[in-house]
Order: sequence, then structure tokens, then C-alpha cells
Amino acid sequence: MKKRLVILSILMVFVLAVPVYAGIPLNTAQNAVNRVLEVLRDPKLKSPAAKEIKKEKLRIIYKDMFDEIEFSRRTLARNWNKFTPAQRAEFVNLFEQVLEKAYIDKILAYSNEKVNFYKETMISENQAEIQSRIITPSKEIPINYRMIRKGNQWKTYDVVVENVSLVQNYRTQFNDILANNTPEQLLEILRKKVKTH
Amino acid sequence: MKSYLLSIFLFIFLAAGPVYGSDPIAVPVKTEASQAVVVAEEVSEPAAETADTTVDPFEEEYHNGEYADDAAIAKAEKVEIADPLEPFNRAMFQFNDKLYFWMLKPVAQGYKEVVPEPARISVKNFFANLGFPIRFLSCLLQADFSGAATEAGRFGVNTIWGIGGLMDPASSKELDLKMQDTDLGLTLASYGVGHGFYIVWPFLGPSSPRDTIDLAGRYFLNPMSYITPWYYPTGTKVVEVVNRTSLSIGDYESLKDAAIDPYVAMRDAYIQYRKKKIKRKNNKAGAAGVQLEQNFTKSGAN
Repeated sequence: MKKRLVILSILMVFVLAVPVYAGIPLNTAQNAVNRVLEVLRDPKLKSPAAKEIKKEKLRIIYKDMFDEIEFSRRTLARNWNKFTPAQRAEFVNLFEQVLEKAYIDKILAYSNEKVNFYKETMISENQAEIQSRIITPSKEIPINYRMIRKGNQWKTYDVVVENVSLVQNYRTQFNDILANNTPEQLLEILRKKVKTH
Repeated sequence: MKSYLLSIFLFIFLAAGPVYGSDPIAVPVKTEASQAVVVAEEVSEPAAETADTTVDPFEEEYHNGEYADDAAIAKAEKVEIADPLEPFNRAMFQFNDKLYFWMLKPVAQGYKEVVPEPARISVKNFFANLGFPIRFLSCLLQADFSGAATEAGRFGVNTIWGIGGLMDPASSKELDLKMQDTDLGLTLASYGVGHGFYIVWPFLGPSSPRDTIDLAGRYFLNPMSYITPWYYPTGTKVVEVVNRTSLSIGDYESLKDAAIDPYVAMRDAYIQYRKKKIKRKNNKAGAAGVQLEQNFTKSGAN
């Protein structure tokens, strides 16, 4: 109990010490999500033919919101060092495509669910966790964004959906694959995955 | 019967090993590591898995310099589970996967076409209401008396005014009796039982020895289980599962699509999900003492 109190008070000091950035990460995440919702709600883009335009617009927002290199590096963790710079670049690119293919239809199928942003927790001076909820008629889905400050910008490096961290989830998978395979073989698996979709 | 149950409990305790230390929040990494190693030794798994369960050296290597402040977070979140039964589990994962795509999903889709969503939510509420005994018992076993009282209140309100549990008036803003997110697995965790190794049951999906106790408890404490003849409870179970699936078609698909190795992705998602619940429970237990005190002073003031 005492230990917890000490940790809590240390955290309190941290929270009180960095009021400068308070609110900025939350606003950044909320703005990005609102821009996504605007694209999805845009009546001019309702026709099926406009799907590609929508995708292109979403891609721009994604690039703005996420730090892909940070994201990739964290999923590879210690394995990042085993990749050559060229392999790293290809990995970042392929991984992004895998994610896009997996989630784009889910995002495009959006139908007026409500998104609530309600809490920002500063993990450190340069990192924050933003909590949000998607509210559907049958359930609420908690989605947290983990953000890092890069210069003057806050970028997302991890998304936690229903308590499951994406970075952690991919890290476990890549770790498992790289335990028995070379980076080149992993890239080959990713290439295949991107193609077969 | 009793000796059978006892041996299951004994098995779980031996397989899972105790969590060391009294404060799981303060030393999460240490407990995890020692626990995983205990399991690994007992079942003498192949080398690949042991590599999986030992503490990663990457934190030191990777978090030099600019990532230094991250090490603490990464460490606190380190979640792994021993998987000595991987070949069996992978086979069961395949079985469940086929079961979902070949049977459950088509049936649930048909059902979704016929039954409107509000009705399906009511059915979900009905089954959730029947889960009252296990939540009530779990709260009591964790000495979470306010949680138990909330559950009892919910059950009464929803059964009487919610037409046998079809509606959920207890969750309304006025009453604000929220369903307690607990089960026997979390109860055992609060007693210090480790989750042990990963196991995938046919039909039931990802689990661990600890959570298997919960599955068994769910069966015995569900009033539906005691209806005769035997195919009635089976039938209601099928309705429950189909109904639940109809409300979440697409979730499993997107998890599978996004995964590079769906089996590992599922295992990791399962263990992350359970770990966070336990963590939240612990935080809540810490806050509950304060809450109780506040309530006490409040009622004193009245």
C-alpha cells in the first residue's frame, strides 16, 4: 500500500510538472479522428465509385497521424537491429500495406457510430495515452492511442483496442517468426500477404 | 465428485504456481518471469518455447538513448504465456476456425437476417442476466461486497422490471448499477494463482488452466445447465452462442486478416486482454478502500 502511495505521488509530481503539453495530444488525436469521420460522412463521396478517393484521403490523414517508422521499430523491437536499412524501409512499407488491407474495409463500413474522446494520461514528458470509445448500439469499444512527441508534433505509435495493444500483438508474432527465420524470410511472408489479399 | 474437483484445483495450483510477492502491481515483471519459468521447467517444453518465455534482453539493447523512458512501459506490459501444448493448440485453433466459418457464421448470418438487432440485444441481456450467480459469487470470493450488492440489485431489478432480464433498466443513468466485470478466473488471480499455460479448447476457444476453472464454474452455476432433458441446455447454449456471434460478425475475421500468424495473434490478444482485466481489478481493489471510507463519512454526515 505504501509502495503504491509512493508511486502515485511520484506520478502526481510528473503530472504536475508537465502542464505545458496538457491537452495537446488529445486534441491532435481527436482532430485526426474527426477528419476521418468527415471523409466517411461526406455525402459527395457516398457512391461506390468514390471509394478510391476516400482511401486516398484517409491515407493522407493516416500519414499525418501515425509515425510509421516508430510503429514498425516497436513491433520489431530488438529484431530491428538485424534488418539492413533497405530491409527496414521495405518492412515499413509492407507492414503499412498489411494494416491498410486489414482495416480499411472496417473503417469504410463506418455507419454513424459515436466516437468519444474522454481522457488523456501523460506517461512521460514526451508520451501520452489518449482514451476514446466507439459507441455502437450493442456495445462500447474502448480504443486508446499512444502518442509520442516528435519535435512539435504528436504522433501515434500504438493503438490499443479493447485492451489489446497492436504493437505488442505484432511484436509477439514477429518475435515468433524471427526466432526460426531470417529477416528476408519475414519480408517474403509479408510480400505474400500483401499480394494474396 | 468432490475428489474430482479437488484434484482439478490441485492440478491448477501445481501447474500454475503461485505468484510471488504481495504487491502484484509493483513487481509485475518479476512475478511473470518466475512464473513462466516454473511452468517451463515442469513441462519441459522444447527450446523454441523456452526462448519465448524468458525475459527479453531487448529492453536494454533497444531502449538505449532516446527510447530510455520507454523501457519501464515495455517492461510493465511484458505479457507472455507458456505454450507447451502448441501442436495440440494449433490443431484446436484450426478446428475452431473451421467451425466458425463453416457452421457458426452462416447460421449467425441467417439469424441476423431474420431477427432485428434490438431483439438480439434483448436476448444477449437475457443470457447476461443468467450469468448473475457466477459474478455474484466472484465478487463475494474477492470480498468485493459493493460489487456483490450491485450484482444482486441488478439481478432483482432486471429480472422483475426488465421482463426476466430481456431489458437492462439497472444500467440506466438513474440506477447506475453496472454489470461487474468479473469471473472465477479473475477471482483465482486475486488469490495469487498464476494463469499457467495456454490451452485452446474445442468449441470454447482460448483458455488457461485458471480460466478453465471459470468455464467449469460457469457451467455449474448457470441455471440453464440444470434443465432436463439434456438437450435443452445444449439448445439454449447454441442460441446464446449464435446470438452473440450475430452481434459481432466480422470481429474474428478482421483479427485473422490483420494477423501474420493468426494463431500467435489470437494467443497474444487473449493473454493481453486477461492481463489488463486483472490489472484493472487490482487497481479497483486499491481504490475501493478509499471509496468505502468516503461512503462511511458521507453517511455519518447525513
